[in-house]
Amino acid sequence: MTSHSRTHEDEFRAGRELSLDHRKLGMWLFLASEVMFFGGLIGTFLHYKATIPSPESAELDTILVGINTFVLITSSLMVVLGLDAIQRGNRRGLATFLGLTALLGAVFLGGQVYEFVSLYRHGITLTSSVFGSSFFTLTGFHGLHVLIGVVWAALTLGKVLRGAYSAQDHVGVEVFGLYWHFVDIVWIVLFTIIYLI
Amino acid sequence: MKERTLLVIVLVTTALLAAGFWVAANVNLMPAEASTRAALVDQLFRAMLGLAAVIFLLVEGLLLYSVLRFRRSKGDEGDAVPVHGNRALEIVWTVIPALIVVVIGSYSFRVLAASETREADPIVVNIHSRQFSWSFEYPAEGVTSTDLHLPLGRQARFLITSDDVIHSFWVPEFRVKRDATPGQIAELLVTPSRLGAYPVRCAELCGVGHASMGLSSQAVVESPEDFQSWIEKTRALSNDPVTTFNTMGCNGCHSLAAAGAKGVVGPVLDGLGQRAGSTASGQDAATYIRTSIVKPGDQIVPGFADNVMPRNFGERLKPEQLQALVDFLMAQ
Amino acid sequence: MTSDAIAAKPARAWRRYLGWSTDHKVIGVQYMVTSFFFFLLGGAMAGMIRAQLLTPDSTLVSAEAYNRLTTNHGSVMLFLWILPVLAGLGNYLIPLQIGARDMAFPRLNALSFWLLVPGGLLMLASFFVGAAEAGWTAYVPLSVAGPDGQTLWAISVVLLGTSSMMGSINFVTTILTMRTAGMTFWRMPLFTWSILATSILVLTATPVLTAGLVLIAMDRLVGTLFFSVPAGGDPILWQNLFWFYSHPAVYIMVLPAMGAISEIFPVFSGKPVFGYKMIAISSLAISLLGLTVWAHHMFTSGMDPRLRVPYMISTMIIAVPTGVKIFSWLATIWGGKIRLDTPMLFALGFISMFLIGGITGVFLAAIPIDLHVHDTYFVVAHLHFVLFGGSVSGAYAALYYWYPKVTGRRLDERLGKIHFAANFIGTNLAYLPMFLAGLLGMPRRVVNYDPRFTQLNQLASLGAFLLAASVLPFLYNVIVSWVSGPKAGDNPWRAKALEWKTSSPPPAHNFDTPPVVTEGPYDYGEPVQVSLAATPAAAGD
Repeated sequence: MTSHSRTHEDEFRAGRELSLDHRKLGMWLFLASEVMFFGGLIGTFLHYKATIPSPESAELDTILVGINTFVLITSSLMVVLGLDAIQRGNRRGLATFLGLTALLGAVFLGGQVYEFVSLYRHGITLTSSVFGSSFFTLTGFHGLHVLIGVVWAALTLGKVLRGAYSAQDHVGVEVFGLYWHFVDIVWIVLFTIIYLI
Repeated sequence: MKERTLLVIVLVTTALLAAGFWVAANVNLMPAEASTRAALVDQLFRAMLGLAAVIFLLVEGLLLYSVLRFRRSKGDEGDAVPVHGNRALEIVWTVIPALIVVVIGSYSFRVLAASETREADPIVVNIHSRQFSWSFEYPAEGVTSTDLHLPLGRQARFLITSDDVIHSFWVPEFRVKRDATPGQIAELLVTPSRLGAYPVRCAELCGVGHASMGLSSQAVVESPEDFQSWIEKTRALSNDPVTTFNTMGCNGCHSLAAAGAKGVVGPVLDGLGQRAGSTASGQDAATYIRTSIVKPGDQIVPGFADNVMPRNFGERLKPEQLQALVDFLMAQ
Repeated sequence: MTSDAIAAKPARAWRRYLGWSTDHKVIGVQYMVTSFFFFLLGGAMAGMIRAQLLTPDSTLVSAEAYNRLTTNHGSVMLFLWILPVLAGLGNYLIPLQIGARDMAFPRLNALSFWLLVPGGLLMLASFFVGAAEAGWTAYVPLSVAGPDGQTLWAISVVLLGTSSMMGSINFVTTILTMRTAGMTFWRMPLFTWSILATSILVLTATPVLTAGLVLIAMDRLVGTLFFSVPAGGDPILWQNLFWFYSHPAVYIMVLPAMGAISEIFPVFSGKPVFGYKMIAISSLAISLLGLTVWAHHMFTSGMDPRLRVPYMISTMIIAVPTGVKIFSWLATIWGGKIRLDTPMLFALGFISMFLIGGITGVFLAAIPIDLHVHDTYFVVAHLHFVLFGGSVSGAYAALYYWYPKVTGRRLDERLGKIHFAANFIGTNLAYLPMFLAGLLGMPRRVVNYDPRFTQLNQLASLGAFLLAASVLPFLYNVIVSWVSGPKAGDNPWRAKALEWKTSSPPPAHNFDTPPVVTEGPYDYGEPVQVSLAATPAAAGD
């Protein structure tokens, strides 16, 4: 009796019946856990925002970081456009947009570094106050997620340039896209609660 | 439903309820009731115990009965008569527990509300905790003690906090505890209802002295007259160095026979007077002792950890108290 | 090596389990064996604790060592024994139960097992630098100031939580996307349902604990001020983050055990499970409700008094789906043809002991009672009844039940019954006296106690030592039977779930032909007598 009497497709038949690709489902589940992780950190930030006065917030550069937010949102648009490209079989388009995603992500990180350094110069550090601790931890973890995303975008770009993905098979790009959009959405929440409220 | 089945159900239910009532009325697993809320808690507990007995006997009874009655006979490899469900039964055993939950929940809520009603003119006691002792401060009466004395029948309003880690103030006979959290003040209302001396226990792991914390503290419920004379006696002793030593919590970490202190976390203080003059160069005994109290980090005895002894005794001790304490320790 | 060869040469087969494999069956065994090792370790710590508590003023163990023992006993038992052993069981069974070849992400699966290794090693290593001593609950500020081992402990728990989350991503994806033809949701075995319900909790709650542990680690390592009271830090914040996970954690620890019980009762009663749909739905209900109750651990914390009441209500409500399960199980065995083999004995023991644990949980939910018994031995008794009398008994039931499938051998029944008796008596003897001690005034986590509690403690210690001894017949049985026990055949229990329709042990790809399902997994109902001499059919049963 042969060992593999069912094809790869048969294995995930139940998923197809539910319109679920297992790789995308896996990413959704992972992102659900990430939402809860950030939830813990966000809860911490908000709790202390409500209970401890934080004059340090006056030093936050809302304009700069607002522009940075726009940069990150644009990078998500790049992912959407890239996906659209590969859905029509346009591998070059995908490569371009992935490159722009990575670039804009890197610019966002640069902006964050600039904001962090400027706060440090004002004496607001990770250990200077509870505000400092919550601010840097929350935005720091987000930045780490962006960094991972930029690296992932670059690696995906590498794969595209070596001929991967087609109109029929680009789940890997979709999975990356889910992650990137998540990172973007988390930032929108963070920007709102840290800079706007 | 067959008549016989109905009869069996009625008989079993009656027997179970009788057992439940008997348990609720006769089984007492609690210590003495020394507060008004204790009486309410115990009633709730006994009612729930009776109910628990009913449920336990019912389920265990059904289980044991099934195991005995429905054993597979030897050689019988067939299946039993298949029953996949029974809508009526499933509704019953969902609805009845839900109702029981509603009843227990409301009863508990009523006990809670009754336990926490404010009475007029409570006696206020600030309860301070630290590693590893309690002190009880009476702001209106102006005294602090390592024992909690309370007049019978008058509501006590405890304001509880900690100087270091989380502790928890518990008098089992009062049936209530409240955590002592650093940076926060927690309120607790208790009306003592029975004369006697009751143990005070720490109920939140606070370090190596957790189990022994409060071995030197008791909750004493006495008549208003006895309470008044205790206040006066304690007030007279407020600069007494042994009282200071214990109410400030030195006994939690240090041992000193003259104060009846048996702490094991910090250096032993017996014989301190003899060695204090030669411990820190350039400091005479009195200066060394005084500095050790108000700035403990300046000189740590080898083998002991820094950052354990509180650094704020300089603010907490009145000058007379500090002086009396230094003189007392000089004589050890 | 074919599975037949493995069954025939068991001594040589053990090497497969030492290295990296993406076969869920290998990974499942790796999980179960590794976690059992930690069970013994946690048990040894318990032995030392109970030895210390034989007399009220014992100096067998110092106060510092005692706090480290209680902290690590709890942490090891929860994070390195019960969570991973149930995950291992799930790992082994889920693909088989749904007719799949393996899990959806086999390499992620292997990684989630191998994360147990650094996680476990770090927790062990913590003893060399001053083990954590603030309780498994690690309340701040005590844990922020503790010895270096506390940091290793925090990192260890983060790794173990990550392992758990990876496992759950795999379980949910596998169950949703890899069920074989005909396996609708309402034909899934109840163990599979329980793993699904458990995974929801793992993914929702574990990350919050991770966040909290990150905060503690940062306070300790980098000097952040999250829990610095002078800077305005709030110790209650840690309690919320911690318990948001750690309450659902107890359902993570019991739902799979209940799933196993749901598998065992129909098989050993020769009857379908009673109320299949309601049991499945109850698992989900317990899971979702379980996310709403955490502050019942904080009734004495000084939290806003009015906020306590909703948590009392949500906690009491969980009794309803739990009761539905218990009554459904009773109705399953009622009118059945009961066989009292060891898996069934442990399952019956589970009901009895979990009942005590569950009932006392309702006592704890009642705020006025909790204000008296919180942080006392009443809680220690409650938690051990649900976790030891419940989860561990359920785990044993599962191990005895599926052992023939995993190894192709039968366990010795007599040794199994001895194990059961010692386990049942030991559990009750160890933990019933603790209820009384707590009610009468004995706090928990105390190295010494008031002499009035001496007899209760001695009874408890006796029970604990009996429990320690009870593991010996089990270990002997498992090892010797694997080497030379009688062959099990495909379906020694005459069960109906899919895992029993393939060989014991299953071939590498689980099923020679992907099964097609046409009925539920508990479709008993042939009252016709079959003679003892006929052996059960190997396939197509």
